[in-house]
Amino acid sequence: MDGKLILEARDVSKRFGGATALDGVSLGVERGRILGLAGENGAGKSTLIKILCGVHRADSGSLELDGRPYRPRGPEDAERRGLSVFHQEIPVCPHLSIAANVFLGPFMPRRGLGPDWRRMNEECRGLYRDLLGEEIDPSRLVGDCTAAETQLALLVRVLSRNASLVVLDEPTTALTPPEVERLFAILRRLRDRGVSFVFVSHMLEELTSLSDRIAVLRDGRLVGELAEGEFDSRRLSSLIAGRAVEGGSPRSAPPPGEPFLEARGIGNGRSFSGLSFSLRAGGILGVAGLAGSGRSDLARSLFGSPPLSEGVLAIDGAARSLRSPADAIALGIGFVPEDRKADGLFHKLDVKLNLCMAGLERFSGGIALREDRLRREAEAAAAAVRVKMAGPDAAIGSLSGGNQQKVLIARWLALRPRLIVMSEPTRGVDVGAKQEILEMILGLSAEGCAFIIASSEIEELLALSDEILVLNRGRRAAILPRAEATKESVLLAATT
Amino acid sequence: MGNANASRGGVAAFKRLFGFRDFGVVAAALLIAAFFSLTSPVFLTAYNFFNLLRQTAGLGIVAMAMTVLIVSGEFDLSVGAIYAVTGVVTGLATKSLGLNIWLSAVLGLSSAMLLGLLNGLLVTLTKINSFIATLATQMVYRGIAMVLSQGQPVSNFDEDPFYSILGRSEVFGLVPVQILWLLASGLVLFAALHRTTFGVRVYASGDNRDAAELAGIKTARVKRACFLVTAAAAGLASLVSLGYLKTVTPTQGTNLELEAIAAAVIGGTSMSGGIGSIVGTFIGTFIMAEVRTGLVLLGTDAYVQDAFVGLVIALAVIVNVKVSGRKAI
Repeated sequence: MDGKLILEARDVSKRFGGATALDGVSLGVERGRILGLAGENGAGKSTLIKILCGVHRADSGSLELDGRPYRPRGPEDAERRGLSVFHQEIPVCPHLSIAANVFLGPFMPRRGLGPDWRRMNEECRGLYRDLLGEEIDPSRLVGDCTAAETQLALLVRVLSRNASLVVLDEPTTALTPPEVERLFAILRRLRDRGVSFVFVSHMLEELTSLSDRIAVLRDGRLVGELAEGEFDSRRLSSLIAGRAVEGGSPRSAPPPGEPFLEARGIGNGRSFSGLSFSLRAGGILGVAGLAGSGRSDLARSLFGSPPLSEGVLAIDGAARSLRSPADAIALGIGFVPEDRKADGLFHKLDVKLNLCMAGLERFSGGIALREDRLRREAEAAAAAVRVKMAGPDAAIGSLSGGNQQKVLIARWLALRPRLIVMSEPTRGVDVGAKQEILEMILGLSAEGCAFIIASSEIEELLALSDEILVLNRGRRAAILPRAEATKESVLLAATT
Repeated sequence: MGNANASRGGVAAFKRLFGFRDFGVVAAALLIAAFFSLTSPVFLTAYNFFNLLRQTAGLGIVAMAMTVLIVSGEFDLSVGAIYAVTGVVTGLATKSLGLNIWLSAVLGLSSAMLLGLLNGLLVTLTKINSFIATLATQMVYRGIAMVLSQGQPVSNFDEDPFYSILGRSEVFGLVPVQILWLLASGLVLFAALHRTTFGVRVYASGDNRDAAELAGIKTARVKRACFLVTAAAAGLASLVSLGYLKTVTPTQGTNLELEAIAAAVIGGTSMSGGIGSIVGTFIGTFIMAEVRTGLVLLGTDAYVQDAFVGLVIALAVIVNVKVSGRKAI
């Protein structure tokens, strides 16, 4: 058994201050196999990965890589030992070619003092052919590549440096379904050639389709391991969440009453046009569509960023022009962006300021900042949406993805919004937090807050929406009431 | 029991102290002061202390205002030129136009704010990087000062209480009045950055501009206000200098922008925006001044002093990055 394991962790524990991040975790990765690693945000996955690549040191327990004791001093040290971690935020040089990005570093082929471009391109082409079974043009700039192509370049980069164990930390979040399939085919091929993987993902279907074995972490402990043949989404999700997750939605009939918001032929002059719909107080409108269908742009323009350029948006019967987010906020609209890191969070500020950043006027008594009030409201908001945090002064980066998302929703609640526009409300959020966020949306809608939710996850839209507006190349392909909306009908409208 | 409580209170106080963002800068200032006190008997005297602060008052005023601007995510290389234009406009207004010195000062300060407004509009409307934009306006503004004064100093002003109020009197016969201007500016800027919602908007704009916009903050407006504040501070600093020296030159304030940025950086301000404090920059200015003064007292020549200040900047940044665990300054 021992010889088969490339990596073995025994009784690994890690504490941060008072919080236990990992509590006696023991697990092994078999050579030439893919170990799926599942768990909610905050379950200990990231901590484990950071210990594996040497960013953190374990407090106790031991690691063995290839049968030898393993205590990496940092990512470079880990890479030298043959372990590479692969995540979304690996920096690339967008103005350099694929080949240059692959070979960047001390082993770049040279001729004289300069790089040997011809040899680099040839070797790069060879690597792609050999490792991925694909033909590419290595002289293309990485900046011109899609997210999927960039990812493959990074994968080739780590593999060309003789990585024998690659930790894939949510490699699929930026990929379209066909790209995911292609990546999986490549990973299986590499596995069959003897490369080992740890695959971390929130998507249960991905975990079950790619992994040879799945380990589940919860609250820093290993709570279960499923061997191939035991994979079952329901069982997996209950292991992850620690309770059974219901499939159905508690959404009852749409609220009665007249619409307060009406869109007539709205467009942004670029990615969508001629859209009409209406929304009642407490109603939930889902917006579906493929990437590039105008789904995300519609959400942003309903918040004035950038403004609509055609059509009429009427609120309470009066036409309104939202020229900026400030205009939208004044009309009682809130917004939760798709890209939490880039457009939502203030990374250098603490949790309480992140919670209270919208509608700051309410904290100015005269000209002075009412800090006591800000702290009180932040605590109330955090409690209302059950944000897990060390305190209102904690750094926003110390929160898990799900809790950061709750902060972004809670930001609006004190303003008593009539409408919250959300884009991908549960992206990068674990199963448990996802359920909590969906319940939160339903709870707020019962209190009269309307929602417009643009999402690439059809199940989520089906669970929430009274109506689903399906976009196809910027046009309205269908508007499906709750009774008629199914995964098939939405997909059909979005893709034909 | 009482003991346990007291020690817990002590631990809490200790933690507060070390959690206090500017602790490191204060400690550095004290260490440097201790060093020079040991090497020179005159260093630790009230006279030297006040003299040191008097000399650095103008720089301190500009550096603290520049901190607000840097926190908002921009900076201003034209403050030195604005400092010159303010002096030249004020000097010429009273000397050539025969205006009352107070009225001339108002005119000078207004011109400073006008130039600050132009900087703000240029950066926010065209979205040119503020480094480039204010590098350009620095040359333009310095040119204006040169053209107005024909390259000549302006001096020999009529007697007026203005000069003693701005720079030539000593409060209680001991504290040079410049120090009061420095402290007053510090208090106003501290309140603005750390005790108002405007300050929160400044931090938010510098931390993540897109997120700030989506939270309803008009970041362009915030940044314009910060450019205005910085220019007004440069104007005030120029008037304080005019009060003390009773002369203005079109070349005054050369390199003031770099010294101000250096003081802010020593004080822990991040050049990428979103991090910085008025207290930190105040101490940062003080550190630069005490290094200079201390070296003078040791008898080193002026060239060595500049080199040392450079070393202090590098050291401060290294320590700051290490201590705060930040990726960059």
